[in-house]
Amino acid sequence: MNPPGAHAQPLDTRKDGDAGGIDSRGQTVLADKVIEKIASQVASDESAAGGASGGFLGIGAHADLSVRPKASVDLSGNIATLSVEVGMLYPVPLRQATENLRQRIRARVTELTGVEVRHVDIKVCWLTNTDGESRGKRKLL
Amino acid sequence: MRQTAGTLNRTWLAILGILILAAGAALLLQTTGILQKVFQTPAPGTKIVTGELHSFFAQQWLIIIFLIISVVVGVLALVWIIAQIPVKNLAETYRLHQEGAQGRTSCDPSVLASAVEHQIDSLPDVLTSTVILRGTVDEPDVTLRVTVNDQADIRALLRHVERTTLAELSTALEAPLHKRRVQIDVSARKQNTGTVRPSTGTVLQ
Repeated sequence: MNPPGAHAQPLDTRKDGDAGGIDSRGQTVLADKVIEKIASQVASDESAAGGASGGFLGIGAHADLSVRPKASVDLSGNIATLSVEVGMLYPVPLRQATENLRQRIRARVTELTGVEVRHVDIKVCWLTNTDGESRGKRKLL
Repeated sequence: MRQTAGTLNRTWLAILGILILAAGAALLLQTTGILQKVFQTPAPGTKIVTGELHSFFAQQWLIIIFLIISVVVGVLALVWIIAQIPVKNLAETYRLHQEGAQGRTSCDPSVLASAVEHQIDSLPDVLTSTVILRGTVDEPDVTLRVTVNDQADIRALLRHVERTTLAELSTALEAPLHKRRVQIDVSARKQNTGTVRPSTGTVLQ
């Protein structure tokens, strides 16, 4: 079986008659987008982080905690550096929440893909006071 | 805090004051003849420049010196005028990662400011609010400007801002607020946002 990883195992060019060997069965290629989607899904499912929805070409988008955050990956061999743009609930202790998110993304992406995640850069793009249900309501003092 | 040119103004005014005072004292000493006795300066009424004054000031080197002095004084004056423009001195992007963290964490202060603004705007009788964050992430300064209508309970609002709004900002940044300023403006305008009321109707099949 091919070990999980972002890049394909090298093609087996041996011609020693070992046609039925494990290495000759093919290769698995993991596209960058797969890692990006897994990272953003992990951020969305396993933390209070969210993304942005609506708008046109990024203009007029609004905070939405039910949407996956935007993630991008810089892959070098089997080592990945992730950048995630997240929105969070306000007020949460930002250092603590983002550090937990970083550890969670690193662990889960490595676990699910086999790619070693060295760095996770997090940019907090928005903070929302509400979970969407009480939007527009006035509080009583 | 909004940065103004107060210190610069005081420094330059002090320098100019000392120069003018020194010139005045020198003139007084010269007039009374004391300077003549001490430094052997020309006596009052004596011509310093003999001959044609126009030809003296028409010398090339003297024109160049006056030109250089004029340019330097002009530039200094311009810099002084430009320094009068107040600078907001906003905070730079907050770096929230800890030492040794496996990645960077950043948050623009305007993101936090708009969250606080949204929180304040949702309070009753508040028309608008502006929040400005300055300083560093470990020693943040916050300036709130809240405009309320004339029926607002300002004491209750201040209490809420102090106990809840600023406390939550401090929680989010995980640092005590270094300086806090709250400005309350009262306006005769009415709130232009209505209150959202959940529907309580019965759905008929």
